[in-house]
Amino acid sequence: MRILLVEDETHLAAQLRQTLEEAGYVVDTAGNGRDAWQLGGEQTYDVVVLDLGLPVLDGLSVLKRWRSEGMVTPVLILTARDQWHEKVAGIDAGADDYLTKPFHTEELLARVRALIRRAQGLASPVLQCGAVSLDTRSNRVTRDGHPVAMTSHEYKVLAYLMHRPNTVVSRTELTEHIYAQDFDRDSNTIEVFVARLRKKLPPAMIETVRGMGYRLVAP
Amino acid sequence: MTPWPSTSLRLRLLGLTAVGLALALLLAWFVLGGLFRDESMRQFRHGLEQQLDQLTARVEFDAQGQPTVDAASLSDPRWHKPYSGLYWQLNDADQGALLRSRSLWDTRLANAPDALGDATVHAHAGTGPQDAPLLVLERVVRSPDQPGTRWRLLVAADSRAVQDAVAQFRSVLAWSLAALLALLLAAAWAQVALGLAPLRALQRALAELQAGRSQRLQGPAPLEVQPLVDGFNTVLDSHAQLVQRARQQAGDLAHAVKTPLAVLSQAAEAALARQQRDPSQAGDTRLATLVLEQVAQARREVDWHLARARAAGGRGVPGQRVALAPVVRDLLRVMDKVHAARALALRCADIDVDLAFAGEAQDLQEILGNLLDNACKWARAAVSVAAQLASGAGPPVLVITVQDDGPGIAAQQRDAVLARGVRVDESVPGSGLGLAIVADRVAAYGGTLALESAPHGGLRVVVRLPAAV
Repeated sequence: MRILLVEDETHLAAQLRQTLEEAGYVVDTAGNGRDAWQLGGEQTYDVVVLDLGLPVLDGLSVLKRWRSEGMVTPVLILTARDQWHEKVAGIDAGADDYLTKPFHTEELLARVRALIRRAQGLASPVLQCGAVSLDTRSNRVTRDGHPVAMTSHEYKVLAYLMHRPNTVVSRTELTEHIYAQDFDRDSNTIEVFVARLRKKLPPAMIETVRGMGYRLVAP
Repeated sequence: MTPWPSTSLRLRLLGLTAVGLALALLLAWFVLGGLFRDESMRQFRHGLEQQLDQLTARVEFDAQGQPTVDAASLSDPRWHKPYSGLYWQLNDADQGALLRSRSLWDTRLANAPDALGDATVHAHAGTGPQDAPLLVLERVVRSPDQPGTRWRLLVAADSRAVQDAVAQFRSVLAWSLAALLALLLAAAWAQVALGLAPLRALQRALAELQAGRSQRLQGPAPLEVQPLVDGFNTVLDSHAQLVQRARQQAGDLAHAVKTPLAVLSQAAEAALARQQRDPSQAGDTRLATLVLEQVAQARREVDWHLARARAAGGRGVPGQRVALAPVVRDLLRVMDKVHAARALALRCADIDVDLAFAGEAQDLQEILGNLLDNACKWARAAVSVAAQLASGAGPPVLVITVQDDGPGIAAQQRDAVLARGVRVDESVPGSGLGLAIVADRVAAYGGTLALESAPHGGLRVVVRLPAAV
């Protein structure tokens, strides 16, 4: 999963980036409103974590522009402004959730997970497909109750597919959500990951749809 | 209707006018009455003088030098009718009545002691038959043959008719002037009412302001009062600006302080997490724990004092009115998104469009926002909101109820929960300030906050706040 983190305070940005990457996300960062606006418009993300007090262009304006341009990515507002009328303004500008500083790291991670699930219409933090279950909180995969070892890229591919069961996902789309912005992407690597996954999981679970991509199906 | 105070403009204007008008008309009555009386008397005397002249022409002297009057040739029949009111008398040098008109009958005209000049006519007031008031005119007549002998010729007329006419006139005049006074007072009243009408309009504008339906004194005011209105509006504006600036400062302070606090708490949490993951790593968790505790404490202090600094409203500030329904809707929208993961049923009973809070918008949002957030955090499946106007004597009161179906708060803990930083369940995220802030804001408006048990378990919070009409 790919996250855009928009925070102008460098220490906090670095800390949050590390926290999110440790939790298994691919993180792009922006330090001001204009960069955030551009990145958010050009790249695809699963969640945006947006600080409101930004230089050049403030957070609410960036959010409003995104929404008017048709961007539907879930946005979590992160800010010190905790007055209710400001929360109302944030939600009305198009935010999906609101977290005030200072916050507990766990709370941030939980909310990000919830937003990703909500975007796919999934209710539980534990995703299930046949015998395979993926716990988004601990990033652990089990098959018939037994844990399955995975590299981080394999996990990311599987998590992305399990958030969209029975949906065709193109290689390009997978590439965009698995890799950071400046990574030299080679579409073959996706096939490698999928092949490895098929060895670890029931083979029929990940289906190749000719010319279009992959689809996760329940056996 | 408030009674007119002694400094009422209307009373001053009308009082002065009434007194002035009454005095003027009284003076007019005297003057006009006097003029009429004088004119009437003048004409009466003129007529009598003509009678005297006519009579003088009828005085003849016989061979002995005795005067005679050819009474029969006198045209006016009153000379001949007894006690008619018109009399003549001719007196000799000793003032004895020598000749009299038939109208005098058996009475005589009294002689007023007077040294008459030759050519002059003197007038006296006298008394005639039946004690009638008379005007007496007299002149000296002499025979051309005996110039040394002086005779006095008197004519007298009953002045009652004239006096009655004058009295009649004065009476009619009095009534007329009284009617005129009444009309003029009515006109003055209308004029004052018209003149003061802009002030009534201003009174209404002030009432609108106090009810919160407008934020300034609206409407053009008369030239003389406009500076006062402008001054008042300036004060209102500067108050609003002051509040705005204070809030701005508070918001900036929040941002400035909380971001470093967030950095600190993140670092401390990361350090603790690393320690937990890899206990073999050397490291002192005491510092990290201390940092976390102190940051939490600092956050509570900052939140509390900032919240109080932002509270703008309170009792007695004019022009405050917030419609309730839109605020509740906005907050429920936020609850819907923020607590979406819990899939709660947020129920809101129809709130009357006219229900309004007599206070500042942000204060209402803080009160209801914190209560709803609390309810959503603790509820199992449903949160409901209702609001109505409390019936009864006294100023209007808004009663808002927020209810959840969560675990509720035990009766003995209810008072404690309203204190700063007291938390019943530390596992649910929060600073412990929410209810304390709500209690503080509600108290600032003179309202009440009550924690009760909801019918099917859970907590019911009942807030009473001043309502705007």
